[in-house]
Amino acid sequence: MGGMANQAFAQMDHSAHMGMMDKPNTCQGSGLECANAATPFLTPDGRLYLAWTAGGVVSIAQSIDLGRTFSNPVQVAEHGKSLDAGGDARPQLVVNGQHIVLTYAFFKDKNWNAQINKVLSDDGGNTFSAPVSIVADTSSQRFPSMLQTPDGKIFLSWIDKRIVNASKGTDHELLGGSIAYSFSNDGGVHFNPEKIANQSSCECCRIASATDPRGGLAIAYRAIFPGGIRDHATQYVSEAESSGPVRRISDDGWKTDVCPHQGPSIAISSLGTFHVAWFTLGSKRQGVFYAKSHNQGASYSSPIRIGLEGQAISRPYLFASGQHIWLVWKQFDGHMSTIYLRESLDDGRTWLKDRQLSQTMGYSDHPLIIGDGQFIYLSWLTRAEGYQLIKIGAVP
Amino acid sequence: MKRFIAALLMTLLSLSVLGNESVSLKPFKKDDWGNILAQAQGKPMAIHFWGVTCAPCSKEMPQWGKFMKQHPQAHIIFIQVDNVSPEMMRTMLIKANLAAADNYFLASDYDEYLWYRINPQWHGETPITITLNESGKQSLIQGPINFKNLSKLFQ
Repeated sequence: MGGMANQAFAQMDHSAHMGMMDKPNTCQGSGLECANAATPFLTPDGRLYLAWTAGGVVSIAQSIDLGRTFSNPVQVAEHGKSLDAGGDARPQLVVNGQHIVLTYAFFKDKNWNAQINKVLSDDGGNTFSAPVSIVADTSSQRFPSMLQTPDGKIFLSWIDKRIVNASKGTDHELLGGSIAYSFSNDGGVHFNPEKIANQSSCECCRIASATDPRGGLAIAYRAIFPGGIRDHATQYVSEAESSGPVRRISDDGWKTDVCPHQGPSIAISSLGTFHVAWFTLGSKRQGVFYAKSHNQGASYSSPIRIGLEGQAISRPYLFASGQHIWLVWKQFDGHMSTIYLRESLDDGRTWLKDRQLSQTMGYSDHPLIIGDGQFIYLSWLTRAEGYQLIKIGAVP
Repeated sequence: MKRFIAALLMTLLSLSVLGNESVSLKPFKKDDWGNILAQAQGKPMAIHFWGVTCAPCSKEMPQWGKFMKQHPQAHIIFIQVDNVSPEMMRTMLIKANLAAADNYFLASDYDEYLWYRINPQWHGETPITITLNESGKQSLIQGPINFKNLSKLFQ
């Protein structure tokens, strides 16, 4: 596909996008200023890679000054209105040296079946391979969630419709989708035959995944429990074994057939504690909540509400380094969207006082947290201010 | 220039005759909500927010089409919220027998500003329906609707 234009930096100064509020709020271009979702990856040497979707195009650019300026973007795929740009969709990105893996989903037919494509670069993002499907199955795959394990493998999970589609017309029709996953041992060139972790999940919410510093990893997602209850679950996953049992995080009792468009978040501390946050409109609680588990999800602490009850709280995101836990979320008061941070220095036993990180008036992406091995940053894309990488702490 | 192109696109959409069946798709922005509500004029009304890519929505849309056929007097407005092409919306509306319904498409961002403006209890889930009774009292119904209850609104 396209080149990185000699990686000449500083062409895209995001201060130029200030003052977008006086323009129509239907942004039409493929540039970062029109992106609905931007996914960062920060390398140990401080180079920021950013993948985004805008105007039906998937693009990637680099920054050597922590997001103040970017190289000319490379358009790695174009799908027009068929690109999945839903509220929980975002491209997935892993960088390992000169090797880049990017995955995203698009709708491939008139029946709204989706396909997850991958594109690869072996030259640091100068050129990318043509997009190809990650699996041979032709049913429907959506909402990729990708990470790199400490030993350099790629883990990819997604919502898969093959089992649900096969159940149509039978006496046991299934709702939603299934949680599928696969590992790649060669940087995404090949993915191992996919496995199904859970046959019944919500089909419109992204999956969260995190590596366990002690080995293996965990996924968190909105499952469908008997009776059509769309509550959250975690599962432990290792490459060598089958996925562990489905562990319910909380009995929220959200019996519904809606698409919530809000998936959970998970982070795992150096002690192996699962920290999870999620959104629910269940019969037993409504809002955004946090809980933790010291036994790989076998049991969870009582849910703790994030933000004030009655406020519009959304998009919680967790990050762990050692026993230091960062939790951010978005709060909307009717006028401004504000990102708040809650920190724990002791693996979630105690928490510091919430503090405000950033605000915007207008469209904004989900808040994300990334680290480069030295520092921890809030990654946030807003229509008014552009892309922001805000330092929020240091690796303990 | 972008503003002009957007306006032109919206005009074309609102007048488009695609294929053999005409589907009128009008743009909707969050600031238009007051105008939508004003259309009730003291009578019951329902506004249904749905998305083409939302499986529960597409599954339910033919039932809305059936309801409209059985209740031609019912004042129902449909607002499609996904960022998809007019062709995609048209295909689903025709399939659901809703081509002649009062159809809108979202022409602004699908975000917390929109949800809060429509109803502070809406968090972006789809489908949802807002109903207004004769007194103008609004109710938020999340998920697929109970059509028996909806028919009582229009009795």
